[in-house]
Amino acid sequence: MNYLTRQEVATWLDKLAQEQTLIAPLDIAGNILYRPVQDTHEVAWDFVRSFMSIKEFFFPQTERLMLIEKLAGQVTLTETLPEGNTVIFGARPCDARGLLTLDALFIDNEPVDPYYKLRRENTTLIGLACESLGPSCFCTSVGGAPDDPTGMDIMLTPTGGGYVAEILTAKGEKISKRFPVFDGLSEIRPHPLHERKHELKIPPKEVWPAKFNDDFWAEMAERCLSCRICAYVCPSCRCFDVRDEVLPGKNGEDQSERIRCWDSCNGIPYRRVAGGHNPRFMKNQRLRNRFYCKFYYFPLHYGPVSCTGCGRCIDACPVNVDITEVLGYVGRR
Amino acid sequence: MTENTQSNPMMPYLGKLVEVKDIATEIKLFRVEMLNGGGEAFRDTKPGQFAFVSAFGVGEAPFGIANIPQDGSATLDFAINRLGSVTTDLHELGVGDMVGVRGPLGNGFPMEDFKGKNLIVIGGGIGGAPLRPVIQTVMANRDDYRDFQILWAARNPSLLVFTDEYDSWRATPNTELHLTVDQGDSTWEYSVGLITELLERVSPSPRNAVTITCGPPIMIHFVNRVLVEKLNFKPEQNYVTLEARMHCGIGKCGRCNLGTKLVCVDGPVFTMAEVGSLLESFL
Repeated sequence: MNYLTRQEVATWLDKLAQEQTLIAPLDIAGNILYRPVQDTHEVAWDFVRSFMSIKEFFFPQTERLMLIEKLAGQVTLTETLPEGNTVIFGARPCDARGLLTLDALFIDNEPVDPYYKLRRENTTLIGLACESLGPSCFCTSVGGAPDDPTGMDIMLTPTGGGYVAEILTAKGEKISKRFPVFDGLSEIRPHPLHERKHELKIPPKEVWPAKFNDDFWAEMAERCLSCRICAYVCPSCRCFDVRDEVLPGKNGEDQSERIRCWDSCNGIPYRRVAGGHNPRFMKNQRLRNRFYCKFYYFPLHYGPVSCTGCGRCIDACPVNVDITEVLGYVGRR
Repeated sequence: MTENTQSNPMMPYLGKLVEVKDIATEIKLFRVEMLNGGGEAFRDTKPGQFAFVSAFGVGEAPFGIANIPQDGSATLDFAINRLGSVTTDLHELGVGDMVGVRGPLGNGFPMEDFKGKNLIVIGGGIGGAPLRPVIQTVMANRDDYRDFQILWAARNPSLLVFTDEYDSWRATPNTELHLTVDQGDSTWEYSVGLITELLERVSPSPRNAVTITCGPPIMIHFVNRVLVEKLNFKPEQNYVTLEARMHCGIGKCGRCNLGTKLVCVDGPVFTMAEVGSLLESFL
């Protein structure tokens, strides 16, 4: 094991920040958000959970897929794949779990999405175990844990004022190499974290179809505003839209970019086709789809449930639509 | 130019418009000659498959491929109704303009399984577009299929697609073409009324037959109902191709699901037995 004081971690991160982009949690007006930082002065070390997950650094809110140039009737397309290496410090276990869920869709399921895959390959994750579960956290119900190192490259566990550091992958090895504190000689073991056992059980795939036409969905949807915040804060929601945006052009050139951006199945026009037909025009149909996607369709197609138990959607929802209430209902006989 | 196209499923091939013609009110037929390798990708396109067509600067949208690409010629037909932003921009384009084409996508009709059967093709409005390659396949391999009935409909005569091909359809051996419109005009000499009424009148036998329907969802629903309840077809005999909003076509964007099925990769061709077993309605 390696044991690092906070000061040593900071010195190490500052060194990494000189070589590649460092993303770290910041306290921005009371919200914890992951942002690029120049050094560790501004980093929020002690927090329960960020408002947004680290999803945006792998599957950005808006991402250019290609550049489109039209000149004299000819069109040139230039693929714009992501470049550069990034280190993310302070990823929580639920964030890493979200990435494993997205991997199942974007990488393991053919055809591979090259944009997402490159970002995954070029990014190293330094995890930070949670010292406590937040009031809406339920990661232990979906198989996670506040100190689960799954999916991390290096896992830091706060222990005795410093951090026990476990190097888990070759990528983690690489960024630890040139910092002598990683000597592997420490006898200190990670502090066993307080683990709250959650009573909630995720209903298995088989029970979902029978509940599809229940009145519950309409009752739940009465208060839903179709605002889509639940999908945007979710580490595993992945619906997207693709469109072209015209760019300010140079002389005689007609330039645009093809972008993809986040979308959500709760949005009213999500399923609407040109001509106006919308098979999911009712709010309850859309709200229901989101939960069926997470716990029935996604596992059926790609393997894992599309929920990390992070509870962000519970905190973000302006009208208290609570995913644990939904799971409780579906799981009830 | 378009690099790494093979490894990046979001990159379209470039195509040049070699023919653009009005074929019905607000509907144009676009003939696209595929450039840099695109022709090869589409060589084995199956009837019922679709592709995303890009209007560069606006976006891309999925359209049923309306022909069978002939060996080596690498041209694709799209019949496109001007309805949304992408189609409005496409309608502004003319011969020589460039578009993007990404595909072929989706499962297509199991034409092999249809061999030796009577085929009933039922098209409503622009829904005729993905059925044209089925008609072309039967015409090109007439002996492989038994009796062939085409029921073709639109809201009014000006919305009927591929009118200049009706004579060649009729001239094909053992082939019937039945036309109907919801609202006729002074020159209309065929049936007036819904396609379901025409279907009941033509009354095809379910024996050794399959039906292939495309049109608005409500038409698909009622056509299937007549076939099953009045003409004794089984839902397994009734093939449909469904429309859905989608943004990737490769099972990623999440948009086109109908319950557990994704229209883009599990469809767009389904039997009504499959459609009926889905959790969610396509209506």
